[in-house]
Amino acid sequence: MTQDELFNRLSARLPQLERAASPIRDYLTLRLKSTDQILPAAKTLKELGYDYLEMISATDWLGPVNPNGYIRNPNPNVFLPEGATPQNVPGATPGVNYRPVFDMLWLFGNIKERTRVFLRLELPRSNPTTSSLYGLFKSADWQEREIYDLMGVRFEGHPNLTKILTPDFLQGHPLRKDYVHVKDRYDE
Amino acid sequence: MSNDTALAAQEPKTLKTDTLFVNLGPQHPSTHGVLRVGLTIDGEMITKAVPDIGYLHRGTQKLAEVRGYHHCVVLTDRWDYVSAMPNNLVFCLAAEKLMGLKVPPRADALRVVMCELNRLASHLLFFGTYGIDIGAFTPFLYAFREREMILDLFEMVCGARLTYNYIRLGGVMVDVTPEWLAKTKEFLDYFKPRLDEYDTLLSFNPIFMARTQEVGLISAEKAVNWGLSGPNLRGSGVNYDVRKNDPYSGYEHYDFDVPLGKTGSCWDRYYCRVQEMRQSVRILEQALAMLPHGEVSATGVAKVPKPPSGESYAHVEGSRGDLGIFLVSDGQASPYRMHVKAPSFLNLAILQEILVGNKVSDVIAILGSVDIVLGEVDR
Repeated sequence: MTQDELFNRLSARLPQLERAASPIRDYLTLRLKSTDQILPAAKTLKELGYDYLEMISATDWLGPVNPNGYIRNPNPNVFLPEGATPQNVPGATPGVNYRPVFDMLWLFGNIKERTRVFLRLELPRSNPTTSSLYGLFKSADWQEREIYDLMGVRFEGHPNLTKILTPDFLQGHPLRKDYVHVKDRYDE
Repeated sequence: MSNDTALAAQEPKTLKTDTLFVNLGPQHPSTHGVLRVGLTIDGEMITKAVPDIGYLHRGTQKLAEVRGYHHCVVLTDRWDYVSAMPNNLVFCLAAEKLMGLKVPPRADALRVVMCELNRLASHLLFFGTYGIDIGAFTPFLYAFREREMILDLFEMVCGARLTYNYIRLGGVMVDVTPEWLAKTKEFLDYFKPRLDEYDTLLSFNPIFMARTQEVGLISAEKAVNWGLSGPNLRGSGVNYDVRKNDPYSGYEHYDFDVPLGKTGSCWDRYYCRVQEMRQSVRILEQALAMLPHGEVSATGVAKVPKPPSGESYAHVEGSRGDLGIFLVSDGQASPYRMHVKAPSFLNLAILQEILVGNKVSDVIAILGSVDIVLGEVDR
């Protein structure tokens, strides 16, 4: 099934969704306009056979990553002399739309029809809160906890939104682009 | 009769039962790595199970944001270190989509060969260690005898036994030699009869079947809802295999079946993997028979690739399930964001539900049947 056919079929039931301006390569990508749309959209998708929530992800679009977010020199080059500035630390690319948002991403799969669809939603960095899909998909449980732990997005309605990967004493959310590592007793 | 027993006999009403909290792991051979499960038990029954992960978290998703694309392939080896070839492959597929690279047919075929050999090695490790979990030590020795041969083949082609870094952007590291091909064919001829031997050793052993056929049942609906993938999902009878569902690297040209289980018990998950080994052998034989000639790497792969800004998603059927990579580029030499959708991470989450109501001795049987690798869970 082509992306257009799939979009026409889905938009009959989900008219609030529009195609994303910058889609994921080779996959149908739909954009939600506000936070309160994700739960009804997920519910409708589940009714349509998209009952396999494959992935939840998020991108921080603030700008290039802060090198101070790493414990040691983030990009060691053994051929450089001692004390030289690290190379290849990414900078900003002109023309890329850096903005203070978290771009959420959900991937729903339909196992029988062999199709999958991405949903996107922009959350402001000042208040990154969205609805939890735990009630519909149990696979959201740990994936939402991971995004909360690493990215700091809060999922309302999640029964146990706690850290999962990073240690308890770690402050902040490491995958945020402005994350700065605070020295702790395990450093050097 | 001791004093305590006499007291208990006198006042039976004052005796209380209480639940007990038990730590399973993180340093426990049956957890296959550094997994801690907090078990609340009432006598022999589990009333609550809380898997605790993160002991092996190395932050590869963050590290990728300052490394070049070629360096990121090295990072991928460290997720599922038991089967690193599919990890290499999935990152390369996602990055190649961003860069618009076209992989030559011989490289595609070699990728398939390596991934299937790695699946054999990974499933053999499962077969051996799961026997040990249940209490059968002998199959382990047989499984490792064969696994060693596969690792020798990998060592022969790329110099490493676990962290290969063989599949590179645009193709593979180096072409295989005629001696390697001859040795691989020799291995397959040796390995095929061994599969029947495994069935007599472990699969249809009455004690093994009694221990595994009635525990850890996962219904198809529950498996899909919890996002399981790989043999864990297929053991519940759901026909989902990325090689068929969303083919990559020319898997659509190979003739193979997807083994399915019926009840979703530990034995079904186990036997799915054993049958998958037969299918992997079938794919390997076809791939080696019609290995195309030509280049093994695309031309024009930059030393420091800077793909145009965009987003891509690629997923493969790794040894443990649907392994996906979401990759964002902003035009720099490093990925702007890399998200790893790890199958073990999702396969492990269901433990908190299926362990409840089982006996303590069955915990290891269920844990082993899910076949997790903690390097992939924690990334």
